[in-house]
Amino acid sequence: MRGRETPLLPVEDAREAALFFVVAALCFLAALAALSAKSTYGAARAWTAEVQGELTVTLQDVDRRAAEEARKLVEKTDGVRQAHLLSKEEIDELLAPNFGNRGLPDSLPLPQLIAVAADPDVPDMGPTLQRKLAEAGYDSAVDEHADWASDVRRVLAITRLIALTAVALLASTAVAVIAFATHAALLARRDIVDVLHLAGARDRFIASLFERRFWLLGLRAGAVGALLALGAAAAAIFAAKAHGGHAGLLPELSLDFTDLLVLILTPVIAGLAARIAARVTVIRALKSMM
Amino acid sequence: MNLSRLDLFDDIAVRLENVSLRYDTSDDVLSGIDLTLKQGSFSFLTGASGAGKSSLLRLLYLALKPTRGEVSLFGRPTGRLPRDQLSALRRRVGVVFQEFRLLDHLSAYENVALPLRVVGRKDADYRADVEELLAWVGLGKRLHAHPSTLSGGEQQRVAIARAVVTQPDILIADEPTGNVDPEMGSRLMRLFLELNKRRGTTVIIATHDLGLVRQVEAPVYRLSNGLLVRDAEYGDTPAGRRRTDPSKVVE
Repeated sequence: MRGRETPLLPVEDAREAALFFVVAALCFLAALAALSAKSTYGAARAWTAEVQGELTVTLQDVDRRAAEEARKLVEKTDGVRQAHLLSKEEIDELLAPNFGNRGLPDSLPLPQLIAVAADPDVPDMGPTLQRKLAEAGYDSAVDEHADWASDVRRVLAITRLIALTAVALLASTAVAVIAFATHAALLARRDIVDVLHLAGARDRFIASLFERRFWLLGLRAGAVGALLALGAAAAAIFAAKAHGGHAGLLPELSLDFTDLLVLILTPVIAGLAARIAARVTVIRALKSMM
Repeated sequence: MNLSRLDLFDDIAVRLENVSLRYDTSDDVLSGIDLTLKQGSFSFLTGASGAGKSSLLRLLYLALKPTRGEVSLFGRPTGRLPRDQLSALRRRVGVVFQEFRLLDHLSAYENVALPLRVVGRKDADYRADVEELLAWVGLGKRLHAHPSTLSGGEQQRVAIARAVVTQPDILIADEPTGNVDPEMGSRLMRLFLELNKRRGTTVIIATHDLGLVRQVEAPVYRLSNGLLVRDAEYGDTPAGRRRTDPSKVVE
């Protein structure tokens, strides 16, 4: 009884091992760049959601009772959903990253702070509150988070664009490398291609041999690259958490379903790119023969 | 091409009309070749080294397009045939390459079965035929040997078995007995004659071996300086020369 048929293309050689390494490395970088792009996109969205319609009213030289009156005045303003006067403990917590956790000395003069959640669709909320408080005799400053958050959003958008460009560049480099390697493999296997061609094999039959080979190579190399990227991302998250992690400035690092989808898709895309590159290269080379 | 012309060429296996071949910027390797071989014919092609025998054979087994002229197989001009139809024509042509062109990662059995495998036939369907054919060429016990472990003569026999395994309509052999002993050479010639007689296979053998040419009563074409001539020296049957008429081969 005969065993399985030997593949018509010989088992992979050292050249393909080198190509495997290159494709795996490119997939690792591409997956990491995709995760970074997705992460900055998530950060930008979280920032936008967090600061949209948020304002902080700072009241100078007022006691707690006057501040509470000001809070009521703010809360009655059209478009304001909620106004919360921050307690001494809350202000301590807010300043803890700068002054430590031991609390602020009582002698330190602190402003009264009102955290305001307003309807983001109401225009000029900041000037409206400022005017209203001034009319009531308060010395106040209104800080619209949206103003400075837009700078952060802009930076995040640029970072995201860079990450996406990196993904596109890495993906196209991977495709180019695979196409080049397929061509080299075809030249190295020219004897086999010739024999198959002259034995009457159709172009698509010969191409399918290379397609299958490079599809599997891309799939396996992509899987290794994606697993390495998963490891790197997990290590980054672990390191961030181990060092105190979420300081409140940026959204907490985590891997969600979309990240896993990126990692799952990486080998599939690598495999498909390899397969298409192989097909195009082989068909083109065969067409140069009679 | 109209039907009446197809009918006209019905019994013609190979037709070369004013065929010339040139590689890159070199001079013509073949020049103005006209050749018509009927189906079921048996021919020899001779000529000095570098005369263009292999180039002519490459045109015949559709590895090359002529620079000028037309190559037709079975009445079909190949110049503008779609690629799939060229593949289909190639399947009707068995080739024994001078350099064998066996695939080293495949066993002798798998090399012989290759033309059957590329057309999608299953191992179980052809196993007995391939094994029998390899046994017939004396390699029944070396089915699983790889070409690198076979001698030159054994490789040549594997190459011949591969060329005939599909029972092609045209068999083209480039120096098919160059690496085998005289006994095996005669045996292989009998195989070619058998195919020619029993299946009506058109056989074209390129050879330097005039002893081989003398064994068979068949037209001899000689290439010289890129021109093809029918060789008068072997056109007749000199008295005393032992020759075999392909039509009188017995099993």
